Amino acid sequence: MPFTPKPHAALLIVGHGSTENPDSSTPYFDHADEIRRLGAFGEVHCCFWKEEPSMREAEYLIDADEVYVVPDFISEGYFTQDVIPRELQLEGPTTSRAGKTWHYTLPVGVHPSMTGLLLRRAREVAPDADPAQTTLFIVGHGTGLNQNSTKAIKDQAALIKASGAGYAEVLDAYMEEQPFIAEWAALATTPNVVVVPFFIADGLHSYQDIPVLLGIEAEPGEAASQREVFRHNPHHVRGKTLYYSSAIGTERHLADVILDQVADFDAKYHEAR
Amino acid sequence: MKLAERLSAAVAGGIRRIGQIAIRPQDGVYLLCHIDDENSDASLLEKFEGSATARDLSTWAEDGHYRFTKGELSLKRGWLLQLSSSEELRQALDHFYPAAAGLWFAQHDGRLEIEHLRDKLNRQTGMYRFARTLSDAGAQRLVSEVCGPGHCCVKKILWQLDANTPLEDSEASRFDGVTGDIDRSQAIPLLCREACNHFVAEARKASKAEQDAKATG
Repeated sequence: MPFTPKPHAALLIVGHGSTENPDSSTPYFDHADEIRRLGAFGEVHCCFWKEEPSMREAEYLIDADEVYVVPDFISEGYFTQDVIPRELQLEGPTTSRAGKTWHYTLPVGVHPSMTGLLLRRAREVAPDADPAQTTLFIVGHGTGLNQNSTKAIKDQAALIKASGAGYAEVLDAYMEEQPFIAEWAALATTPNVVVVPFFIADGLHSYQDIPVLLGIEAEPGEAASQREVFRHNPHHVRGKTLYYSSAIGTERHLADVILDQVADFDAKYHEAR
Repeated sequence: MKLAERLSAAVAGGIRRIGQIAIRPQDGVYLLCHIDDENSDASLLEKFEGSATARDLSTWAEDGHYRFTKGELSLKRGWLLQLSSSEELRQALDHFYPAAAGLWFAQHDGRLEIEHLRDKLNRQTGMYRFARTLSDAGAQRLVSEVCGPGHCCVKKILWQLDANTPLEDSEASRFDGVTGDIDRSQAIPLLCREACNHFVAEARKASKAEQDAKATG
């Protein structure tokens, strides 16, 4: 969807961040740079849960009176429904406070345009694999504590199945709840398997934990920023040919999904404008 | 006035430092370097341009550790960053010291909202909920053990335990947010308007240790 630039508004991208390594926040800064380059907003800023600037400091970064807050998160859940509204003192889709108007959009991961990004990434990582002989896994964290955390991933798996992309199977799987990604070889009946982590960053989970669960590494390796090269595909493991992608959030076009969420917010709440 | 314009006016008015960064206006551009390189031969410094570089320069300390807290006294030396506009200067400073300039302007305007520690801890949920039960004595001790230049954070703490309980006197609670020997009127102080999440994580650990000590005592 073409985006109508908002030179008088600010975009605030909210991310998780990490105290362990910078890889967790790198995609957020990349998305901010891309949106600045596109000239879509008068100002673009990032704020974080685990890094600086904090969400409570964010208002001191911003000149504009109108702010679009986009959670650069995969799913709706604890962070998008509890932590971010609490820290940014948001009371609903639109909040007016101390001379500024704050619009709070849905997280990027639940936007329908993520489907195209996931398919593109799956094709890029395994250009030679025939989809008819391939199982595509979309992998999330999963937690027994919040059912919403898997909804975005289940939805995307269903959308990809319905897209006509031709994969023999499209499955959702998780680190910490069933179906477990560690059991990928038993879950997939095809000779080829493509695994796309549905995470924003190549942080601890996608870069260090999941490779161990897949069996392509014996123990968690160094963080992405500490490595010379990315992993080499394909991996011949457990009798199958496995292609492992970097996290979907590292995709440059995620910046477009951020803008799509803003456009959808306006369409839903600002139709009169 | 926009933040970039205010920053530009502040530099024109004599501001030359923020944290471990020296700022020099020169022929319409801004030159930034580490304060310990201010008097170095510029030809020996590695040259960079543009605000995005500021994130790379501020990510790793000299010893290779990740600087997730930007108020750390561990900025790398050996570089010279050229910025071509006040907007680039604002963006670069927000990478080096996130929101620091905006916080300082807000303090000037009397609109900086300070959050005391109890308010910060009491709104924690999830795994950080434990931090709420930290004792006053434990919180005071933690400030002297976690904050201040002695522990690598060079921000001026503006918060108290609560509205009626100031922080006990210590190097951390006394620190004025300006690094090095410079006329204070030439520096933007780094301000800490509420305890950071690193402090909250430490408060959680300390609170658990207090409860364990009670259980075994």
